[in-house]
Amino acid sequence: MISEPIDPGCGAAAASTCHVAAQGERGLAPTAPASGPAAPTAKDFKSTLKPIWCPGCGDYGVVTAIYRALANIGRLPHEVAFISGIGCSSRIPGYTTAYGFNTVHGRALPVAQGIKMANPDLLVLVAGGDGDGFSIGGGHVPHAIRRNLDLTYIVMDNQIYGLTKGQLSPTTKRGAKTPSSSYGSMEDPVNPLLYCLAYGAGFVAQGVPADLDGLTKMIEEAIRYRGFSFVNIQSPCVTFGDADNQVKVQKTRMKALASLGHDSTNRLRAMDLAQAYGEELYTGVFYRNPNPPQTYDAQIRERQGALKV
Amino acid sequence: MLNDLIIGMAGSGGDGIVSAGESLMSAAAREGYYAILTKSFGSQIRGGESSCRLRIATTPVLNPAGALSVAIALNWEDFLRFGGELPVTSDTVVIYEQKTGVAPDAIPLKVRPAIVRSAPIEDLAKSSAGTLQAKNNVVLGLLCGWFGFGRDAILEGIRKKFGKKGPEVLAGNERAFAAGIEFAEKNPIDASRRIAAATGGKGVRRVTDGNEVCAEAALFAGCKFFGGYPITPATEIMQHLQRDIWKHGGSLLQAEDEIAGIAAVVGASFAGKKAMTATSGPGFSLKSEVLGLASQAELPLVCVNVQRGGPSTGLPTKPEQSDLFAAAFSAHGDSIRPILAPISVSDMFGVTVEAFNIAEEFQTPVIVLSDQEIAQRKDIIDPIDTTGFKLVDRLVPTAEQLAGGYSRFKLTDSGISPITHPGLKGGAYLAAGIEHNEHGDPTSSGEMHEKMNDKRLRKLNPLRQRRDLFVIEGDLNAPLGVISWGSVAGVALEAVRAARASGIAVKLMVPKLIYPIAEEIYAEFFASLDQCLVVEQSHQGQLHRLIRMWVDVPGKFVSLARSGANPIAPAAVLERLRELSQPLQPTAARRSQTKPLYRDDLRAY
Repeated sequence: MISEPIDPGCGAAAASTCHVAAQGERGLAPTAPASGPAAPTAKDFKSTLKPIWCPGCGDYGVVTAIYRALANIGRLPHEVAFISGIGCSSRIPGYTTAYGFNTVHGRALPVAQGIKMANPDLLVLVAGGDGDGFSIGGGHVPHAIRRNLDLTYIVMDNQIYGLTKGQLSPTTKRGAKTPSSSYGSMEDPVNPLLYCLAYGAGFVAQGVPADLDGLTKMIEEAIRYRGFSFVNIQSPCVTFGDADNQVKVQKTRMKALASLGHDSTNRLRAMDLAQAYGEELYTGVFYRNPNPPQTYDAQIRERQGALKV
Repeated sequence: MLNDLIIGMAGSGGDGIVSAGESLMSAAAREGYYAILTKSFGSQIRGGESSCRLRIATTPVLNPAGALSVAIALNWEDFLRFGGELPVTSDTVVIYEQKTGVAPDAIPLKVRPAIVRSAPIEDLAKSSAGTLQAKNNVVLGLLCGWFGFGRDAILEGIRKKFGKKGPEVLAGNERAFAAGIEFAEKNPIDASRRIAAATGGKGVRRVTDGNEVCAEAALFAGCKFFGGYPITPATEIMQHLQRDIWKHGGSLLQAEDEIAGIAAVVGASFAGKKAMTATSGPGFSLKSEVLGLASQAELPLVCVNVQRGGPSTGLPTKPEQSDLFAAAFSAHGDSIRPILAPISVSDMFGVTVEAFNIAEEFQTPVIVLSDQEIAQRKDIIDPIDTTGFKLVDRLVPTAEQLAGGYSRFKLTDSGISPITHPGLKGGAYLAAGIEHNEHGDPTSSGEMHEKMNDKRLRKLNPLRQRRDLFVIEGDLNAPLGVISWGSVAGVALEAVRAARASGIAVKLMVPKLIYPIAEEIYAEFFASLDQCLVVEQSHQGQLHRLIRMWVDVPGKFVSLARSGANPIAPAAVLERLRELSQPLQPTAARRSQTKPLYRDDLRAY
C-alpha cells in the first residue's frame, strides 16, 4: 500500500526533509537517495550525553548496535523518534541524537503509538527494560501488537530492577534471592518471547550484546519489518545480575537460531523454541511473518485519504 | 399564558418517556422555542425507571430549573424514585396514568398540587394504535391539547420518526397522538397554563448537547488526535470525533485503557499535533501521572473531564462538581494545570477552543471540567458564530534560532520556550519526565530544578489577568456577591436576576477560568462585598475552599453546596440571598462557645 503522506509533520522545515515523502509508505530506504543529504554514519546518532550505566553494562552494546542499525537504515536522526519508559535502559534515547522521549514508567508503547499515529512518516523506536515492558507496562504490549503500528520495540531484559538496586523483576527466576525476596522468589517469570509470539507479533527476535554484529543486523531487520517488531535483548546487569548471565558467559552459552537451521517463517516452531527462554540462550529471529498484514498507520492514511473533505 | 414551562415525566423503561421528551424537544426547536432537556435513568443498561425534565421557554433558558409546572407519572413507583429531581409544588399540574388505580385525592405526594388529572394513557394507546408502544405519543397529544404545543411541529417529528417503519405503524402513532389531544380537549385545563407562542428563530436553532459541541469545537480548534477509553458520561465526545476527525487529516485511538489513551495524546502532541482526551472521574484519576508528565515535558494537550458523582464509581449518570480538587491537584509535584469550565452547552464550544489555545500557547495540559448535565442534557441553541474566534498555535523556533543551537527548555522571560517536533531538522531534543536543564539533558541539580519549576509556573501568570474568562453581572457596588461555576452558574444567574428584580443589591461572578485562581480578579470582585455566597454542586464546596486558599475573602464567605443528583434550583439560591440580605440577627441569639476538648485530650499524653 503505497500512498502519499498527508502531512510530513515537518512544519517550516518541510523542505529539508522532503525526501522522506519520496520513500513511500514507510519512508524507509536502504540508503538515502542520491539527491538527498549524505547518508548518516553510526557516529551521527551518538549524542554527547554520558551514560549513567555501570561500566560493563550490557546496554552499552545495545546502544552501539542501535547507532549502527540506524546508520544502515539511512534515515536522518531528526526523522527518528526514540521513546522509552523508566529504568536504567530507558535512559537510552538521551544517548542518541534522535528526537527522544523518556516518558513515565511502563507507558513508552502508548506514547510511541500516539507519535506514529500523529506522524506515520517518522521511524519510531521504543525501548525499555523487562520491568517497564512486562510488569508495570505489561497491559500495553498485547494491544500494541494487535494494533500493529509500524514500530520497533526493544526490551533490554536483565531479569532485575537495576535502577532501584536489585529487586525482583517479571523475568527473574523462581527462587531468586534479592532485596525484595530475601527467602527466594515464589513466582515464575514471564516469557517475553512466548508472550509476544502468542499475542501475534509479526517479528520476534532475541539478541545479546556479546554478539554486536548479530544484534545490529537483528535490530536493522526489525526496523525494516513492516509492522510491530519485538527484539528481546539479554542485556546483563553487571551490578545486580546473575554471574552466569554476563557478557563473557553469554558468548559461550548463545546458540544462533540460524546455525540450528530454524525456519523463521514457522510460527509454531518459533513458539516451541521460545519455550526454552531462561534455559537456552537462543539468538536470532524466532519469527518473521512472511506476509505482513497492512499496518495500522497505513490504514490511517487510507482512511484519511478516503474521507478527506 | 406562560413564557416558561417545566415538564417532568417518569415511567419505566418501556414507557417511552425519554422518547416523548426528545420528540417534544425537536418540535420546540422547530417552533422557535428555547429548551433544555435532561434525562435521568436508573443504572440498568435496558429497562428500569427513566425520567426526563423539559424546560421550554420563549427566551434563552439557563438551567433546567426546579419545581415542575407539569408532572406526568406513568406509574407512581418510578415517579417517586426520582424524588428531588422531579419536585412537585402546590402550583404544579399533575397528570398520571388512570390504570394506577389511585384516586386524584389519594396520589402519593406530600403536597397538594394545583390540578390533578388522571388519563387513560395505556387504554388510549391500545385503542388507537393497538400497541402500548404508542403511549409516548398519547402523552404528546395530552401535552399538545392541554398546554398548547404546536400540533404540526410534533406531527412532523412523528412522521420523521415513524415514516420509515411503514404506513401502518405511522398511522397508528398519528392516531395515538390525536387520541391524546382529543382526551385533553374533552377534559380541559385552565387556559392560563398554556405556553405562549414562540417569537422568531423558527428553523434556525438546533438540538444538541455538550459532548457533541465539545467534539465540534475540538475539530474547529484544529485537534488532529484523540486518544481515550469509553466512560460514562464522556464517551460521546469520542463517538462524535471518530466520525469526523479523519476528514480533517487527524486520527483517533480507542486505547486499551485510560492511561494509554492520554499517553498516546502526549505522544501525538510531542509529534507536533493538537491533541485531546476525554474522560470522567475514575478515568481522570488514572490519567494523573501522565498529566504530570505533560506538565514536566511542557507538552500541550486538552483533557476533558465530564464530571459525575464520585468518589470511585460513584454516580456515573449524575452530574457533580466534585472533581475540582482532583483537577487542581491532579498530579504530584509543584505544578499547575489550567482548568476551564463551560457554563452551558453552547459555551462548551468557546471553552473547548480556548482550552486548545491556552494549551498551545503555554505548552501545558489544560483540563476542561464539564459535567454530566452539560455533557448529556439536550439544549436548543442558536447557531455558533465562530467569526470572532482566534486559533493559537504553539511557538516553533525560527530557522535562525535552530541554526544557532537549539535549547528546548530555554529560560526565557515569559517562561515559554520555542518547541520543535520530530521531523524538524536541527530541533532534536530529549523530552522527559525527569528534571532537565535548558537543553533537555537530565539533571538532579537543585538550582536547575528551582529555575525550571519557576519557569513552568511563571509562564502561566498571564492567565491570571484573563478578565474575558470571567462573567460578571449585577450591581458592581453591591455588598452581596455570588460566585458559581459550571452548569450550576446558570442557576445562580437566574437567582441573581430574580433577587435584583425584587430589590436586592447583588452581583454575580462566574469564572470560566477556574485554575490558576486569578487573585486580582477575585480581589476586585470582593472589594465592595460584605458577604459572598459560593454556589456549587459538591458536598465540600470545593471552589469555596479553593478560593480561600489563594485570596483574602470577604468577612462572610458562605457556601451553598450540595452533593450531585440533588439539583440546586434557582429558588433555593434566591432564598439564601434573601436571608443574607437581611440585617444580622442580634448577638444574643448566637450560641455560647463550649469549652474546647483538646486540652484534656492533650493531658492524656
